[in-house]
Amino acid sequence: MIKFKKFLVLFITLLTAISFSTFAGGQDEMASASTEDAKQTITVAAGAVGMEFTLAEEAAKTYMESHPGVEINVLQTPDLTTDRLGLYLQFFQSKSSEVDLYQIDVIWPGDIAEHLVDLNQYGAKEFTDAHFEAIIQNNTVDGKLVAMPWFTDAGLLYFRTDLLAKYGYNAPPQTWDELKIMATKVMNGERAAGNQDFWGFVFQGNSYEGLTCDAIEWVASNDGGSIVEPDGTISINNANAAQALDRAASWVGTIAPDGVTAFGEEDARNMFQAGNALFMRNWPYAYSLGNGDGSVIKGKFDVSPLPSGKNGMRGASLGGWQLAVSKYSKNPELAADVLFYFTGYEQQKKRAIVGSYNPTIESLYDDAEVLAAVPFFGSLKAVFLTTVARPSTVTAPRYAQVSKVFFDNVHKVLMGESTGAKAVRNIELDISDIIE
Amino acid sequence: MKTKRHSLEKNEQKMALWLLLPSFVILFTIAFYPLGSVFSKSFTNERFASSQKTEFVGMQNYQKLLSLKITKLEAVSQDSNGTIIYEDPIDILPREPFRYKEISQFNIFSNHYVFSATDPAFIVSVKDTLTFTLLSVALETILGMAVALIMIKNFPGRGGMRVAMLVPWAIPTAVSSRMWEWMFASTRVGVFNVMGQWFGITNGQFPWLADPSTQVWAMIAIDVWKTTPFMALLIMAGLQTIPKGIYEAATIDGCNGWKQFTKMTLPMVKDTLVVALIFRTLDALRVFDLFQIVFAQKRYSMASYSYYQLIDNKLMGYSSATSVVIFLIIFLFIILYTKISGGVTDE
Repeated sequence: MIKFKKFLVLFITLLTAISFSTFAGGQDEMASASTEDAKQTITVAAGAVGMEFTLAEEAAKTYMESHPGVEINVLQTPDLTTDRLGLYLQFFQSKSSEVDLYQIDVIWPGDIAEHLVDLNQYGAKEFTDAHFEAIIQNNTVDGKLVAMPWFTDAGLLYFRTDLLAKYGYNAPPQTWDELKIMATKVMNGERAAGNQDFWGFVFQGNSYEGLTCDAIEWVASNDGGSIVEPDGTISINNANAAQALDRAASWVGTIAPDGVTAFGEEDARNMFQAGNALFMRNWPYAYSLGNGDGSVIKGKFDVSPLPSGKNGMRGASLGGWQLAVSKYSKNPELAADVLFYFTGYEQQKKRAIVGSYNPTIESLYDDAEVLAAVPFFGSLKAVFLTTVARPSTVTAPRYAQVSKVFFDNVHKVLMGESTGAKAVRNIELDISDIIE
Repeated sequence: MKTKRHSLEKNEQKMALWLLLPSFVILFTIAFYPLGSVFSKSFTNERFASSQKTEFVGMQNYQKLLSLKITKLEAVSQDSNGTIIYEDPIDILPREPFRYKEISQFNIFSNHYVFSATDPAFIVSVKDTLTFTLLSVALETILGMAVALIMIKNFPGRGGMRVAMLVPWAIPTAVSSRMWEWMFASTRVGVFNVMGQWFGITNGQFPWLADPSTQVWAMIAIDVWKTTPFMALLIMAGLQTIPKGIYEAATIDGCNGWKQFTKMTLPMVKDTLVVALIFRTLDALRVFDLFQIVFAQKRYSMASYSYYQLIDNKLMGYSSATSVVIFLIIFLFIILYTKISGGVTDE
């Protein structure tokens, strides 16, 4: 027994010794980073959805050509957002200097701000004015700009131009009530004409982050606030918000299929692209796919801002990805320089033209070359100016819980198990438990 | 002479200790250390990947995780149809130190009750995982036994059939889950909705994976499809050890098929069956991939709930407490099975 104790003591001493030495080692590395190396390496953790990876590699190449002393590695990260966050957290937990630049989701800045550098220290000021203000606001945590917008996303209303014309409408709906009237008329007409699978409106009704995006649009466009306001007050428990949710529930089984309560982005797109829906709420990515070869709705649809509810309010959920510099980077200054190049005008323009990624720089939506390549960007500018950010920065680091409470309760309303008034009351109580 | 032998023995003992040391070190680093670390973290409010100071919070995590309450609801009024309307649980359930949230309401002897917990999602995940485990393992065992009894027989094309039988098991869960997700689609894209419409059960729009009443059943269906081959394979291995001659003898003695199965096959394959059951039960209790891929944050298994608390909410301490509870539940099953299998070998 005594031997065992001795052994234990030895083991613990060893363990502490090792952990201390790695700690000290980490500091050594920090110190040596300032001295010039033969070739400085910057590693970028980037997404690999669609053309993202190719575009990031090309950007790295052009940067390296003009900066021969720098080597940029582009690291592929998991496609699934939560998996990617899981990977990043492991890097952060171990204070790893392996990755210098992280591509982060629009809902993360508040959560991981403590692991990121303040870009204002590296002269971000000269770039920020050109970007959409809502995103810069979203990426600013306690006065620090922790990430630079790279590309963005917002909720849009897709509509079938041919069918609206056929039934005598010359413009997309301006309000949600109009949308319901138009959808009912067209749906009844198309069904009578023989298409039994035709529906009026499809959206993301499954119980997941996507529903938070959709529902915050319903609430915001009905003058019901944005769940938790930037100053921290929980605003969801109000009559307008409750009314917005009840209205959405009234679509299920009437103009929207019952199955919409299990729809994600792709389910909605599949239905719309198969020609079986008049309206769809989705992100900009569905545009180029819908106009692809073999799509039955090619050239027969367009996009507009989402309808308004009360008082002419509109809302489009803000999505998209940012680039941030890790606090544990050995060379944050160079990393920041690479970041400003990646998120700069030239690169965003290229990404818009080649991959139809939405720029975060306002003036690019008026750029002739961009509009020639992706004409629908012209109608997007108005949408990006009315975006509503999910309350991720203000509720950080507990946004994931807040969002789950929200979409769980909204889903119950859509399923007919709860009412708008009951749900908003529940959401308020639960969120006040979470953020205290 | 005696002392020499004594020292020899001592030397051997020393030698044995040295030889045991590596395995002890390995065991310590890969089993006891992580386990102990999870255990000690479960009493703190540590956050994952955060510089926030970690504090000891005692049993608080467990209190939040496991508090349950059954409260009687008073009738408030009656609507025009004569249905009694009860008070809203939100108004009467305690809110300190943690708010109790409704899980379900039920009637006993014309009294109306509400069942609530401070973390309903976890309690539901425990219930779901247990339902999932009991039903899927039971179905897999019965079906596996049937498949094994057929496969053990000699028939043309048996080799090919055996290979075909293993296909569901060989497909990675990530792939088969996606496949089933498609079949369960909430429109007429999904085969179950098409069939449901044929038979007039659904209107072709039923959200199998979003409706709480069918979610767990969908999981059981996928798991049974996927794991029955594994069960069949294990049982088949057991069946192959039974000598063929005794069946001939039994037939000559006039013992029929069913009696042969219950009196001969079953007792002789029992040991294998118990091992297979242990395998499957423990596997099913810590099910993660299926729930995570199909449901993400819609509904949890115990393991995917722990993952959600760690990765999405970054609550390392709370997630550790969840893991400890899962560990204890699985441990309970192990004791139960050890008792059962011990009984088998003693016979």
